[in-house]
Amino acid sequence: MAEAPAIPLRGTPSRFRAGIILQRLALVGGILGVWWICSLGVPHYILPGPARVWNALLQISASGDLWHNLGITLYRVGVGFVLATLIGLPLGILFGANRRIGEFFEPVIPVMNTVSSAIWAIFALIWFGVSNATTIFVVFMTAMPLIITNVWQGTRTVNADFIELARVLRMPSWKVMVKIYLPTILPYFFSGARLAFGFGWRVSLVAETLGSSSGVGYRLRQAADLIQTDQVFAWTLTLVVMMAVLEMGILRPLEDHLFRWKKEAEQQ
Amino acid sequence: MSAATAIAGAIEVRGVSKWFAGNDGQPLQVLDNIQLEVAAQSVVAILGASGCGKSTLLNIISGLVTPERGDIRINGVAARDFDDWRSISYMFQEDRLLPWRTAQRNVEFALEAGSMPRSERESRARESLKLVGLDSFADAFPYQLSGGMRSRVALARSLVQEPCILLMDEPFSRLDALTRAQMHEELLRIQALKQMTIVFVTHDVEEAVVLADHVVVLAPRPGRVREQVAIDLPRPRDTTEAATAQLTHQLKSLI
Repeated sequence: MAEAPAIPLRGTPSRFRAGIILQRLALVGGILGVWWICSLGVPHYILPGPARVWNALLQISASGDLWHNLGITLYRVGVGFVLATLIGLPLGILFGANRRIGEFFEPVIPVMNTVSSAIWAIFALIWFGVSNATTIFVVFMTAMPLIITNVWQGTRTVNADFIELARVLRMPSWKVMVKIYLPTILPYFFSGARLAFGFGWRVSLVAETLGSSSGVGYRLRQAADLIQTDQVFAWTLTLVVMMAVLEMGILRPLEDHLFRWKKEAEQQ
Repeated sequence: MSAATAIAGAIEVRGVSKWFAGNDGQPLQVLDNIQLEVAAQSVVAILGASGCGKSTLLNIISGLVTPERGDIRINGVAARDFDDWRSISYMFQEDRLLPWRTAQRNVEFALEAGSMPRSERESRARESLKLVGLDSFADAFPYQLSGGMRSRVALARSLVQEPCILLMDEPFSRLDALTRAQMHEELLRIQALKQMTIVFVTHDVEEAVVLADHVVVLAPRPGRVREQVAIDLPRPRDTTEAATAQLTHQLKSLI
């Protein structure tokens, strides 16, 4: 057996990467082209062309409308998500660590998952009226079961051999939690959180459409009501770009760094 | 180390019997009246076929399992009064390296139960990796290491506490023959350097003959001491030499 470690090559060759960038540019160009051609024979309030949408985007961006509403929506999603994590993470660990509690609450999770976010939004509207709390509540109710489920699943993968190792070392149980349970659960929590954030972002729009006087969802509905279709497109585009930036700029690099021991092991 | 007296590292097992709950609910005896003494700084092999309770015996010595009858004395102190369990380290059959930690951080893990400052943990872990010849792989993750190297990291982890007693449960049984022989050499070198007591469990007669000063042969169901054999041959021992080959043959007939 060779004693040299097999360290896989990091990253992709630059020639290959340049090819991918060209492919992506061609794809975006193609979509824009089809969009432009389709918009030629149709009134602009049905399907505005790319140039019109771009102008609308510049307009809402210049007036500060864009940043203000994007900030408010992001704030609501963020608060709902953080609350869901603060409550979902300990609950998931508790359900996983204590079988009786876990079995008792098991039916609650699928029920919560099946309730549509539109229903949560209506309840929220009844309880909280038109306020930040409405959107936060909807994001929270959607994200929390996802986080609980994933963390719970993660606790089932904790290696009993590692627990025994800690026992032999006479490690206190809070340290076992921090040093063995938490790192094992982290990848599961992360994929749950990612899912929850994506869902939360989408349902926040539903909630804002129904019960809010600000935010991207509210502006989307307003633009639609006023048949400002170019603005509807501009807001949608903003959301897509926002998600892409969060995903590729923050989540994926963070995940790559946190789980470098795991990803590379799986590639082997 | 708190009680580093002349007898540090000595173990006495006195009339130990152990029962487990069997499949039919009836108590099943796994150990019957085990009696043995381990001299300080000696290497003792507990040899037996699988199912003879040798791992249970090791777990009883480590304080993980309590026997129904009999008692253990460590450094001359009864196990129930013994409080320096961190001076005893345990090496498992599997390497049990935490996949999310580098080699260095895996070795540090053994020091994290107590309140040792981080800088001291780091320098002691580095020393320990150096001892097993892996200091240049401190930053490698377990998946980047070969089986033999992982085993060395596990050894470094059990040595980093500077134990006076090292317990090993078939620690090299998963390695190929060549790597296992290297680990044997490594272990004997370190034992000569650190002067600790080693008790290891094995079903491999040759491993017992190469390493041990003293072999305790267990008979199965329930586990009891069949024979105790002292080995007084010079090291390093070659299994093909007449004296060792004869001893190997003798021990094989006992299990």
